[in-house]
Amino acid sequence: MEDWRVYKHPILEFERGKEVTLYLDGKPMKAFENETILAAMYANGVRVFSRSIKYHRPRGFFCAIGRCSSCMMEVDGVPNVRTCITKVKDGMHLRRQKTFADKFAPFLNLLNLSPLAYNRMFTKPGIIYKPAMKIIRQFTGQGSFSKKIEESGEEIMGIDDEFSTELLIVGGGPAGLSAALEAGQRCDDVIVIDDKEQLGGQLNRQTHMFFSDVKYAAGKRGFKLGKEMVEKISKLKTVRVLPKTNAIAYYPMENKMLMLRSTDRGLMVKAKKYIVAVGAYEKTLLFENNDLPGIYGAGGVQTLLNIYGVKPGKKGLMLGTGNVSLIVAYQLLQAGIGVEAIVAPSFRRVSGYLVHAAKIRRHGVPIITRHTILRALGKQRVTGALITELDEKYRPIEGTEKRLDCDFICMGVGLTPSYDLIQLFNPKMVYSSELGGFVPVRDMQFRFAENAYIAGDCGGVEEATTAVLEGGLAGLYAARSLGYADEEVSAKIDEYEHALEEDRGSPFSSDIKAALQKITVENIEEVIK
Amino acid sequence: MQDEQNAAQRGYSTREELQKSRALPPIEKVKEKRVCIIECTEEIPCNPCVQACKFGAISKEGLCKPGVVDWDVCTGCTQCVAICPGMSIFMQRIEDGKGYVTMPYEFLPEPKIGDKAQLLDRSGKVVGEGRIVNPTYQAKGDAYPRWVVTVEMDDPELSYEVRAIRILE
Repeated sequence: MEDWRVYKHPILEFERGKEVTLYLDGKPMKAFENETILAAMYANGVRVFSRSIKYHRPRGFFCAIGRCSSCMMEVDGVPNVRTCITKVKDGMHLRRQKTFADKFAPFLNLLNLSPLAYNRMFTKPGIIYKPAMKIIRQFTGQGSFSKKIEESGEEIMGIDDEFSTELLIVGGGPAGLSAALEAGQRCDDVIVIDDKEQLGGQLNRQTHMFFSDVKYAAGKRGFKLGKEMVEKISKLKTVRVLPKTNAIAYYPMENKMLMLRSTDRGLMVKAKKYIVAVGAYEKTLLFENNDLPGIYGAGGVQTLLNIYGVKPGKKGLMLGTGNVSLIVAYQLLQAGIGVEAIVAPSFRRVSGYLVHAAKIRRHGVPIITRHTILRALGKQRVTGALITELDEKYRPIEGTEKRLDCDFICMGVGLTPSYDLIQLFNPKMVYSSELGGFVPVRDMQFRFAENAYIAGDCGGVEEATTAVLEGGLAGLYAARSLGYADEEVSAKIDEYEHALEEDRGSPFSSDIKAALQKITVENIEEVIK
Repeated sequence: MQDEQNAAQRGYSTREELQKSRALPPIEKVKEKRVCIIECTEEIPCNPCVQACKFGAISKEGLCKPGVVDWDVCTGCTQCVAICPGMSIFMQRIEDGKGYVTMPYEFLPEPKIGDKAQLLDRSGKVVGEGRIVNPTYQAKGDAYPRWVVTVEMDDPELSYEVRAIRILE
């Protein structure tokens, strides 16, 4: 069997643990400790993880960070486990939740088009709903509990622990870590939570050196920066780090946040101040067959390749000419993976930095502008792509279709702020295309609710370096309002504010700056009341 | 359509464009000593090159302004090549009828003295073959590990075009 792991990389060293064995539908597979289930299966050549609910189309992974839900499988009898964020254990048993659809998909689709469509039947009356659901769940691939778990009785999650803190920081990426560092040096009790096992967020998968001022992050490779920040925080006795913890609800009346630790422990935390630094998730593009296994988000590819050292394919097509797309194309080349081309409708210019574009051009990767993808080719997985030229009004020009060979397609078409948790604070949300999507109105001190601060990409998509600066500032603002105000804090705030202003001084940031100005107000209390 | 493209559409600047923006050093300097070329023409927030130069040969009017080299002061020490996050700083030298280009290198295989390498220009086209003469590496664990490689080429004119290599095994 082909091994898709990268063993020699010019920049990275992959820390693989002991060799273990997984069983996929009973078949043994080699894996290493520290790998996620998804990475291990990918390394073994598995590409289909689940099937879509209605038409049973094959599903690969898209995001690899626990957001897209298309890699869900049954793991040791527990259904709907997100395999991309679950680490392997020796002797783990994995099961696809709808294996029979591999064989009977055409038949099931016919059934779906007929009046017997099971999606709509048996919902009434209530008596037949429950037993019918058991069967329907099998068809839809939503899984069922193993006998053992069912017999143990229905368990409703309870609150295992309740405590209070001065400052709770949600998100351990560049913004959250930076906030924890600054606040932790000044406050007495700070908690940082992150849903991953390892803090660092998107920094962990960045192998390139950062721009910006050398005083902050410039000239360092992203994954090193993340490690350094985590190390510094671990030395602060005032900061408690809770990895593998999800913030799932916020109750404004009681000012409490409900969190779920390692999927089975409920924690209720009451904090005086909150910093929300939950980042952003990837956008997708609309085109025919865009759900085929082998179509990924750029971040998903980075996670698989740069954190776990597993190749996403042999030759890829990149969509989009933003910095993320250009950087990922370069990272693919570094790992010895081919890049067929970068395709984007951009008319005026490559949307990322020219230096990033030049890096891949000089290695022979063409950037095909004024083009877009029409459809992905392939039945069970990507085997190519059909692209077309566009006219000035972004309409495809007939007769210009061209087939490109590739076994994966990677989208770097922008990010959108993650607002799920933010909106529970009852802020005023506005849509801003420059900032990537829905963002809350905030004041000059990043407050978007009475007791909550925002920092990083969730407040508007920018660079990791701006996230570091914003996070540091949010940490300082929070510390100041908690009563830790002295001259040193004010001086540090001035320094950060100046650095942020300077960092946004390039023409690339002018739209973002204008958009941020529009949603920043003098007095947040007036807006949220 | 291809010829109408400007640098920002193409994804790189051509030799002519760089010459116009005075990014390329005068020929006398290149023949006198190894000097630095900054092919970073856009305004982006970045300054490691300014800090890296111990001789003060690189200056920037502001964090976002493009870097400017004083070729009289530059000693060709390659510190800026090693740290440039955009991998857009190179060194050029013409000596005894041979061209030399120094560039950052982040690929495999690892370079060794005497290795033969394909020479690629800014558009990725193979324009010749050269030899690696002086690979240096900042040890792992440093803030910025990266190979800085100098390649020798028989045609000195090529030193204006070559910006990447593919080492032949």
